[in-house]
Amino acid sequence: MSSRKPVMHAFRSGPGTYGLLVILSAIFMVPLVFVISIALSSDSTVSTGQLTILPRDWRFDNFVRIFQTSLPVGSFIVNSVIISVTSAIGQVLSSSLVGYAFARLRAPGKKALFLIVIATMMIPAQITMIPQFWIFSELGWVDTFLPLIVPQFFSNAFNIFLVRQFVTRIPYEMDEAASIDGLGYFGIYARLVLPLMAPILIAIAIFTLTAAWGDFMGPLIYINSEDKMPLALGVQYLTSTSQELQTPPWNLIMVGSIFLSLPMIIIYYFGQRYMYEMNLSAGSAGVK
Amino acid sequence: MTVVDAAAVPGRGTVPGPAGRPPRAKMPPHRRKEALLFYLFISPWVIGFLAFLLGPMIFSIYLSFTEWDSFTPPRWVGLENYITLLTDDPIFWKVMGNTAYYAIISVPLGMAVSLFIANLLNKKVRFRKLFRTLVYLPHLIPIVAVALIFQMVFAPGAGPLNQALSLVGITGPNWLMDAAWVKPALILMSLWQAGGGTILLLAGMNGIPKELYEAAEIDGASSMRQFWSVTFPQLTPVIFFNLIMGIIGSFQVFAQVFILTGGGPDNASQMAVPMLFDEAFRFYHMGYGSAIAWILFVVIMAFTALAFATSGRWVFYESEVRS
Repeated sequence: MSSRKPVMHAFRSGPGTYGLLVILSAIFMVPLVFVISIALSSDSTVSTGQLTILPRDWRFDNFVRIFQTSLPVGSFIVNSVIISVTSAIGQVLSSSLVGYAFARLRAPGKKALFLIVIATMMIPAQITMIPQFWIFSELGWVDTFLPLIVPQFFSNAFNIFLVRQFVTRIPYEMDEAASIDGLGYFGIYARLVLPLMAPILIAIAIFTLTAAWGDFMGPLIYINSEDKMPLALGVQYLTSTSQELQTPPWNLIMVGSIFLSLPMIIIYYFGQRYMYEMNLSAGSAGVK
Repeated sequence: MTVVDAAAVPGRGTVPGPAGRPPRAKMPPHRRKEALLFYLFISPWVIGFLAFLLGPMIFSIYLSFTEWDSFTPPRWVGLENYITLLTDDPIFWKVMGNTAYYAIISVPLGMAVSLFIANLLNKKVRFRKLFRTLVYLPHLIPIVAVALIFQMVFAPGAGPLNQALSLVGITGPNWLMDAAWVKPALILMSLWQAGGGTILLLAGMNGIPKELYEAAEIDGASSMRQFWSVTFPQLTPVIFFNLIMGIIGSFQVFAQVFILTGGGPDNASQMAVPMLFDEAFRFYHMGYGSAIAWILFVVIMAFTALAFATSGRWVFYESEVRS
């Protein structure tokens, strides 16, 4: 082969390596190809259970027909966008403020407070689920987006931690220079640190967007009306509300699953370098 | 895009931020202002912590000692919920057993699969980026879609899994309706998303000093030997991190069970969080549900503590050699 430095054993690849990679990739891809095949199937193909891995029909009109069912699929999508975008805005605003304060401002009790922040990461959501439901129903927020959105404006421990780790990596001399130039703490935060924080804030936005978009349990607990459901809950609803006692419309359900999945793949594609930034920030303390 | 070397970032974790500065005994006015601003800046977290975490936690402890349907006032029953759960509930032990079974098998298996794939991708291969994307793609699919997709994949007659099995002469089981196969089915489904772990592992592999491999090469170590003597020990911090996250996540499995099996057949796939959900939001046993949440919390903590306790024996930190 090429006459350059020989590759060390650990990194040497042979036909076996490629064989394994091809087989593994194929196994991972089969369910996705299958989804597309079912999404393109006609109603009769689906109802008679003739499912093939490669498409047998090419019913692209399924992608239009999903909007013509008895369920408001258009609203599902709009609701998901509203909930996840607002959640992302809330997390970015609050965690940037809190994380910056923990990284840069001095105050008595800060260390103890930060320890509490870290400790709260250990509390599983199930512990607070029932009391939160009580709080939100007392407030009359059940069957609105508020229980899903409002808590996001109070930041969460992991995001605070990420921002704090990130800001500690920004040289402190920049703050000092800015303060000599007459900027106050809020000015330093808004004009200097906030723009520098952009990579980690984009990562947090992506992370929150993805989590809120895919969240199932939250909407399941809080949303009852069909026209307020986000897509993750609505698609599942398609399986349980087929009008007659017939097989669920699997072709349309798979179209719905594609609608649910595709934005996540697109966001990942454009945002992967920021997600890496997040791993880095988390890794600087999380891994060790 | 290639993965950037984590260790190459200048000053990572070494910048002496102002975090560690001790506050002076008497505060000058500008320091008072700074402190006040600090509390103002963190106030969203403080309010959220009190309203959505600490308050609810205390309320949840109280509720776990009561009987409460969320409509009438809670009635104090002492330890009854816990005693009933641990000694008298017809399914609680089965549910905890199922959850532990799922966690104990799916977490190590998923970690092994992602490590195996990461090691393949760490070799000098062409189309590396393509393979990495294909393997990672399932991890991006929202869990609701995953569950719906696998309802098809597991279809007993025409599903691709049983079709593939029939090619080699095996008649596949009715995965989701068979008490013996429903948990393996859920584990299989979790493995489909195991590619998610490869990204962090690849970043970790990228950070392993090449000299270690050169030394191993000179000693005549095979690729297998280099993996077990260099790659694996150097990666243990990342593996440990994945283990902790995996334990916490798998004990909280919910949507898959809720959508695919509803806990059936005969509670063979019922898990802790779906049971908690049923008790609280279907039967309105809020006190009983709170008790389940606390027991689950203790179990997760116990397994996490166990992982930490054994970590000294197998997790390898760079600093241990240097100091």
